[in-house]
Amino acid sequence: MENLIELKDVSVLSQDYPMLLNVSVNIPRGRSTIIMGPSGCGKSTLLKVLAGIIIPDSGEVILEGQDYHTLSEKQIMDFKKRNGFVFQDSALWANKNVFENLSLPLRFHFPALDAARIEQKVKKALEYINLSDSVSLRPAQLSIGEQKMISFVRALINDPSIIFMDEPTLAVDNDMKAKLLSMIKKLKSGSSTIIAVIADSVITSMLADNLIILKSGIILAQGPYQEVIGSKNSEIKNIIKEILQKSSSYDQDLLDLLNE
Amino acid sequence: MIERIGKWFNQKVKNISYALGFFTNVLKESFLFVRQKQVGVKVLIMQIYFTGVEALSIISLIALALGVVIIIQGLSLLPSFGQGKLIYLIMIIIITRELGPMLCAFIIIARSGTAIATEIGNMVVNHEIEAYISVGINPISYLVVPRFFGVSITLVLLTFYFNFFGLFASFLISQLITPVAFTEYFQNLLQAMHLSDILSSLIKSLVFGIIISIVSAYNGFKVRFATTEIPQVVIKAVGQSFVICIIADAVIASIFYIIK
Repeated sequence: MENLIELKDVSVLSQDYPMLLNVSVNIPRGRSTIIMGPSGCGKSTLLKVLAGIIIPDSGEVILEGQDYHTLSEKQIMDFKKRNGFVFQDSALWANKNVFENLSLPLRFHFPALDAARIEQKVKKALEYINLSDSVSLRPAQLSIGEQKMISFVRALINDPSIIFMDEPTLAVDNDMKAKLLSMIKKLKSGSSTIIAVIADSVITSMLADNLIILKSGIILAQGPYQEVIGSKNSEIKNIIKEILQKSSSYDQDLLDLLNE
Repeated sequence: MIERIGKWFNQKVKNISYALGFFTNVLKESFLFVRQKQVGVKVLIMQIYFTGVEALSIISLIALALGVVIIIQGLSLLPSFGQGKLIYLIMIIIITRELGPMLCAFIIIARSGTAIATEIGNMVVNHEIEAYISVGINPISYLVVPRFFGVSITLVLLTFYFNFFGLFASFLISQLITPVAFTEYFQNLLQAMHLSDILSSLIKSLVFGIIISIVSAYNGFKVRFATTEIPQVVIKAVGQSFVICIIADAVIASIFYIIK
């Protein structure tokens, strides 16, 4: 399987404290890779390094076989155009309304797209998540769950083939969770590459082709989901057990609905 | 002790190189601004509106008050030495050459400089900057360059408005003390005014605009994790802008003195 992104000995420091330490990771194209680990272990940082949002202090980031530093601005822009990022805290642009939040990526990447087409695309996306009435509202006027949905839609508005998600279902109610999960499942059934930080073991088992276990900024295990989950290593077992105990949240009806 | 001095020195060198890198980046992106597909034009228009239009009332009031003070003090003192005509030269030196650009800069530091540092600081904390990067939008190009152009252009225009309003207000007040014919007043003013006075005012306001926009944005980006850092960077932005503007004022005044 061809690697979409590779990290080689990547370290990220925050005020001399290592958020990631000599991390080497392979992300295969067209598969779902889930990153798991205890709180504060560097999962979000790893995801942002993979998405090119954080530039590591040392190590190499190889994107489609080429060192990130040697990529031209056009190549980086092409990569960004093909990816979408769902932030843990939504990170919607507070001084823009919902329409502007969703239309900015379109206007930026597709300058030839006329205003009517952009409006149509945004409206269609909002209709899908039942938030058509929120088009002129600012993010602060929305609930946390609605913000999350808008953030999710913003990440998908360009029809990206690579999706980065940082706890996409965190702090959303069950209805919205169901909606989000059905959208994620749809992405998975296509040829999208999904890279996500998910603490919920049930969703992980539904999505994951590959699993990365992280602890204190160090990779403990990575590989096919079944292989990692069945690891005999006691430290890995403990982490998975810990995460399993903390999750979830999902009642059987919801899971049945999602598995239909 | 030596170790501490070494660390302090290292940090200072790092900060200066970072600031220079930031400045170079802003200049580079400014040259590209006109050429690139533009989504930042709206930000530029909003910045000009906020910095210029919304500041007009306070600028008018200060220009009026300054004109009044100069004309009252001048007309009550200078004629007793038989130097009544010097009032025109004094007005040009104080309003056009010195206080006009400087007072406008102070108002813009207080209004727009603080707003820029606060807004960008908030965006950093709320991960909005990361959201721009994830979409492929360069935050320097999208957020800083429009503010750089907006503040610089507006400060030049405001300074000219301040000059005009200050000189015109002086005329109105002079009518209450020693009535002078409109044509005579402005003829005397124009005789006292040299091209170097206008040039000095223009260059100072442009340089102050560049300083305020870049220092404020730079400090905004220095916020790392918490909203509590925002007031600290705003204070720094204001302090640094004041100091650098005053130094720049002295340098420009000296250059004009040497050239003369």
